[in-house]
Amino acid sequence: MLKKIKKIIKKCIGKQNIFCMIRIKYICDKTYNNHKFINILKTIQKTKFYSNSKNKTGFSKLVKNIKIKDLKENENFYYNIDMFSVLVTPNEVMGNFCIDYSLFIENSLEELKNKISSKNNDFYMEELELINGIEIYLDRIIEKLKISKKYDVITNLENIKNCKAQSYTDALQRILFFNMLLWQTNHRLNGLGRLDKILIDYYDYDIKNGLLTKEKAKELLKEFLIILHRDFKIKSNVLLGDTGQIIEVGGIDINNNYLCNDLTYLFIELMEELKLPDPKVLVRASKYMPKELISESLKCILTGIGCPIFANDDVIIDKLINFGYDKEAAYNYGTSACWEPYIIGMSSAQNNIGSLNFMQPFIDLLENEDLSKFNNLDDLIDKYQTYLKKFVENLVLKINEITFEKDSLLSLCIANCVKDGKDISLGGAKYNNFGLTGVGLANVVNSMINIDEFIFKKNIMSFEKFNDIRKENFKNNDELLKKLKSNGLRYGEDNDMVVSLANKIICYTSKILENKRNSLNGKFKFGVSSPNYISDSKNFPASFDGRKIGEPFSVHISTDKSNGYTELVNFASRIDYNFNRFNGNVVDFFVTPNFIKDNFDKFIDFLIASIKVGFFEMQMNVVSSKKLIEARKNPDKFPNLVVRVWGFSAYFKDLPDEYKDYLIERALKNEGAI
Amino acid sequence: MMKDKVIVSSIQRFSLHDGPGIRTTIFFKGCNLKCPWCSNPENINFNIQEYFDGNERKYYGYEISLSDLEKEILKDKIYYENGGGVTFSGGDGLLPFKKIEPLLQKLQKEKINICVETSLVVSDELVNIAIKYVDTFIVDLKIIDEKNAYKINTNVSLYKKNIEKLFSNNCNVIFRIPLVPDYTYTVDNVSKILNFLKKYKPQLVQIFKLHRLGEKKYESLNMKMPEFKEITLEEINKLKEKIEILGIKVEYCQI
Ligand code: SF4
Repeated sequence: MLKKIKKIIKKCIGKQNIFCMIRIKYICDKTYNNHKFINILKTIQKTKFYSNSKNKTGFSKLVKNIKIKDLKENENFYYNIDMFSVLVTPNEVMGNFCIDYSLFIENSLEELKNKISSKNNDFYMEELELINGIEIYLDRIIEKLKISKKYDVITNLENIKNCKAQSYTDALQRILFFNMLLWQTNHRLNGLGRLDKILIDYYDYDIKNGLLTKEKAKELLKEFLIILHRDFKIKSNVLLGDTGQIIEVGGIDINNNYLCNDLTYLFIELMEELKLPDPKVLVRASKYMPKELISESLKCILTGIGCPIFANDDVIIDKLINFGYDKEAAYNYGTSACWEPYIIGMSSAQNNIGSLNFMQPFIDLLENEDLSKFNNLDDLIDKYQTYLKKFVENLVLKINEITFEKDSLLSLCIANCVKDGKDISLGGAKYNNFGLTGVGLANVVNSMINIDEFIFKKNIMSFEKFNDIRKENFKNNDELLKKLKSNGLRYGEDNDMVVSLANKIICYTSKILENKRNSLNGKFKFGVSSPNYISDSKNFPASFDGRKIGEPFSVHISTDKSNGYTELVNFASRIDYNFNRFNGNVVDFFVTPNFIKDNFDKFIDFLIASIKVGFFEMQMNVVSSKKLIEARKNPDKFPNLVVRVWGFSAYFKDLPDEYKDYLIERALKNEGAI
Repeated sequence: MMKDKVIVSSIQRFSLHDGPGIRTTIFFKGCNLKCPWCSNPENINFNIQEYFDGNERKYYGYEISLSDLEKEILKDKIYYENGGGVTFSGGDGLLPFKKIEPLLQKLQKEKINICVETSLVVSDELVNIAIKYVDTFIVDLKIIDEKNAYKINTNVSLYKKNIEKLFSNNCNVIFRIPLVPDYTYTVDNVSKILNFLKKYKPQLVQIFKLHRLGEKKYESLNMKMPEFKEITLEEINKLKEKIEILGIKVEYCQI
């Protein structure tokens, strides 16, 4: 075990990925002695660790010692993650959220302190200590910057302490400063929120009063995005690029007016210009949005960076309200990590706290039941539901064992922790609903359709025999495998039977979760798109949809068919996302760049219609299989090729081979080549 | 076959090249012509045809009732909003028009834009029905020289008569010209085509060269797709210019 850990650490340090080390520590803490582990780390690397002691929090020690860097002449913002100063956090730190940065733009630390200082208990004492620590940190940065005479930046940093943001640049600096703090303190998957909405007043004011030109505003925003991208390797979660840095733009308000301003377009324009995989933009789409915004978004998508993705306000907001979120909060939704809707600044939602692998209970059924008993699809579905229930209940139990790290910083950021004097890790947030991400639903549906067709209807062999062949990975049964893969009806088709089968499973899952409560007394929600289509399928048994052992599960809401876009969107819009089923449901497809280029206007028509039809979310990979295959062979020739992976984009060259191969396979399928 | 059923070989949704907007294209089986370069050889014969894909027995064509066909077409209604709709193709999309007239009535009522892709070598009766319902005719313009008509089994005088009828009824017509050396692309035929276009001034002409994407389908039907001379890009551009000089919009379609 020790050897194995050392090996992993070495690998991580090779990449200078200290945050990855921290994650390994989480895993090891369960089985391993914490201190011993830190010692190992210490000897390998000159990392400084800051943990809580009797009279000091790790954070207060960290801010006094953390490395401050100087700025270069052309830099307008301070942002520096010191990856060799690590806060020791023995429990799981809450991640996967999106704070409301306007809290810090509209309030100075002084004002935040005033709200706290009148109260007197441990929670508030810790919050005060935190703010004092932040002030110490700011002072240290300011001292350093005095040497290089960065007076503009110094003023903005001083303002954080004393007054609300005074300008567009000031507001951008605040977002960066608090974002940096969150990363520095082990918070993963940091969403950025509705920045066009948050920043527009500052932008408008400065432009109107001649304090800022549009060109300068663009330059600053560009620098802002590049800074956020800079540390993407240490910010990444599972794969490189998976940082959760999503910026939402656009969106309807409570009166169905579509919010869209210069900054909305500027974010998209910069995405197109910079072609960075991260941070990424999500456009909140609606039938009320201007066509021009769709057109600009499509131009950006055409660069192939997999961004923006679309979230459909006309579908999502109602679901959030029905689930129990306040109307205003629901209209102001953002996303955490990939695409899971998240109530900005008010929620402890751990939106991908568990993987809901729909295939697992199906395999359990096949392993444990006497298959000769089944002679129709309804019986099979009924039995599947029993196994699904067991599976989900176990998953919930496991999740509820997780203890979260006490977290003064996140508690300061998220309503109502400060108001109620309760730490977020103990349920202080206004909303505490956790999210599961569903994977393998398509494989279950397609398996059931095949069993129905070949066993119950055509009776080509017994169910047991069929299962034996599956268990043997369809060895010497290529003809059958081909049939299973190409059976007419598939998940993703707007066929009544397929839709109702998918909905039946989803609605049942929903019912199982309905009365379950998490450790913070919140509810559970789930969605049918998940990052785990490759990780969960590794070594996973073969399935009747024609998937062999270890082959990836289907991706999100997708289809094997080429050009089946309207069909797929229609299917997606017929999936029932009500109640607790809104935790990310993304339609995902491939398009070749030429296809969009040659049909640009028609593709816009398609997007407009699709929003009306009612997809939940949509993302696409705009790339040809030819390019991917070339890049797989000669990665050096395509260093900047960006692709969409799950809820994030990444450099193709940075991906593990199995992801590269799967992307190529999907691109070929889309082009009708296989 | 039941009276209200037709044979289609496939239904292609999200079709972007068979008329304006986003369309659903219905491929019927059956055509009166026999163009040796046909890219849909499986649609020439009027009946369902068996073939083998490896060892697997498969069929070109299946029966579908008019009401199911209607359902399929209406599935994408929302996507048709900006000028899109349904395109009947084939084979010859116009040939089953008598049979599908009840469907055409319904589609017209639903305000679905209707296009048809046709050789227009069809009976007067069918043309009369089509005029009532079709918004845009996409008509092949191939060999219009009587003495070579046999090469594709066409009937030039019938074709010309039908064209005359469409234009005298002010129908929207798009011409499609496949450029095949020795067949449609001969000095004589091209000059006849130019005269023809000059006379009718259609809203759009689409020209394209042959592709061999249908080759596998020929093989599956135990047929061999003949070899053809290729037309050069220079020749294509020259012809394009000549048509443009007539004041007609031309598109060169690369498949
Ligand atoms: S008219 Fe069209 S469908 Fe008929 S044979 Fe000629 S190319 Fe094929």
